[in-house]
Amino acid sequence: MVEYTVIAVGAESEILRTRLWSRELVVKRRPAKPYLHDKIDAYLRRYRTVRECKMLAYARGLGIPTPAVYAVDLAECSIVMDYVDGVQLKELVGHVSPEQLVRLCKRFGEMIAGLHRGDVVHGDPTTSNVLVEPSGRMWIVDFGLADVNATVEMKGVDLHLVRRALETTHWQHQEQMLKAVLDGYQSIVGDGADEITRRMEEIRQRGRYH
Amino acid sequence: MVTICLGLEGTAHSFGAGVVSSDGKVMSNVWDMIRPQKGGIHPREAARHHSEKGPTIIRHALEEAGVTAQDIQLVAFSRGPGLGPCLRTTATMARVLALHLSVPLVGVNHCVAHIEIGCLESGFQDPVTVYVSGGNTQVIAFAGGRFRTFGETLDIAIGNMLDVFGRSAGMRFPAGPEIEREAQLGREYHALPYSVKGMDLSYSGMLTAARRLLSGGVPLPDVCFSIQETAFGMLAEIAERAIAHTKKRELLLTGGVARNSRLTEILSGVAVRHDVRFHRVSPSLAGDQGAMIAWTGILQYLAGNTVDVAESQVLPRWRTDEQEIRWRAM
Repeated sequence: MVEYTVIAVGAESEILRTRLWSRELVVKRRPAKPYLHDKIDAYLRRYRTVRECKMLAYARGLGIPTPAVYAVDLAECSIVMDYVDGVQLKELVGHVSPEQLVRLCKRFGEMIAGLHRGDVVHGDPTTSNVLVEPSGRMWIVDFGLADVNATVEMKGVDLHLVRRALETTHWQHQEQMLKAVLDGYQSIVGDGADEITRRMEEIRQRGRYH
Repeated sequence: MVTICLGLEGTAHSFGAGVVSSDGKVMSNVWDMIRPQKGGIHPREAARHHSEKGPTIIRHALEEAGVTAQDIQLVAFSRGPGLGPCLRTTATMARVLALHLSVPLVGVNHCVAHIEIGCLESGFQDPVTVYVSGGNTQVIAFAGGRFRTFGETLDIAIGNMLDVFGRSAGMRFPAGPEIEREAQLGREYHALPYSVKGMDLSYSGMLTAARRLLSGGVPLPDVCFSIQETAFGMLAEIAERAIAHTKKRELLLTGGVARNSRLTEILSGVAVRHDVRFHRVSPSLAGDQGAMIAWTGILQYLAGNTVDVAESQVLPRWRTDEQEIRWRAM
């Protein structure tokens, strides 16, 4: 009998912590949503589980720290992966020094840039999906919305989502944080970064009626 | 003492006048919507509609409320966001009334008004709001003194998507109700692009694919059914993300598309799953109307937030999060 502790309930998944094979692991499970059409629900749960497994491994190959995957169950739509002993970046904002915050955000930007350089977008790059270990080492998780063969547009959307997360959740620090993320991003992507940040601005202007 | 406010709404296709008192009573709420014979809404035509129908609608609103113009202590108007010509026409009426009656003028944000009237009706204190209409698709919540947009469409609004599809299926504007009726007859689900990006979403790919299904011979009821299931499923997901993220305990559905029963059913399922309270704003308060402007005008006025006529220019691109919401505690 394996024992689980629920450590988080998100919009589409539950995260359970467990000890298995002498390792600290988490099980990420996507339960059914009875209020959605069953074909849409079945498709999304399965597609995102598969996508997440693949992209966690692919991102690692690009040198981005992600939890290792040990098992996947497509009937249950669950994934068994490494437990990261860290705190969400979201929780640290306001509790670390300004210098420390800039360092963390710069590293966040570098990680996004590492993905983009490999033509991968994360799809949900919020500060909830960045984990910081006590040592300072940072991880990026939750790849269910990630995609490959990313175009400038897709990368622009990814950066737009970073900004959106900062302005809704960290409005007191959003300017410093965004600047640090973009500095980190620029330091890895180089000259190509301009085109993508311009697209980010453009995307922000769409979808509003004027 | 009770303050009585006249609110004028005219951001897009509808012109409305509502009378609301500061104890939260909607005394009247009269509106009219331009219904073109074919095609969509032309901003100039809509503005002409507002200027032609406006005075009569305002008179009806006062009569229904059982008040005279002299009883009005405050005039509020939809200052933005919206179509420039419509906003200017409405603002002109509001300025004239405020000057003529020598009462203060309040410029109200249209999106904020949708939320506040929903809170008045439901008694909700601090909801995650799903605001869906012809021109807007946003998930909004209050944080740090402002209403912040947690998610929105990256291209077209849900109502616009429904209208454009409806037009290609020969339906008249607004097409939402007819699509809903057709969808009830639909049996077979056809996959359409499902596009959620973080807490944002996109409907243009879905629209193209749905039109292709229709021209490829898929029966209209099945296409409508598939559109509703996909489009509302995406909305449910971003609403869930916002609830999980903000940890708020109330979910409010408002805007013209809130009249859709299937959307209401899906979002109430979301609320059950996340153990939050749910309210769908009643049809008469869900669409664009003056009562929401009047009520928000009162809240804003009581917080000392009026505008001089000389500085009351309209704000067609007024973002929800640009306004400091002084009447809500930080």
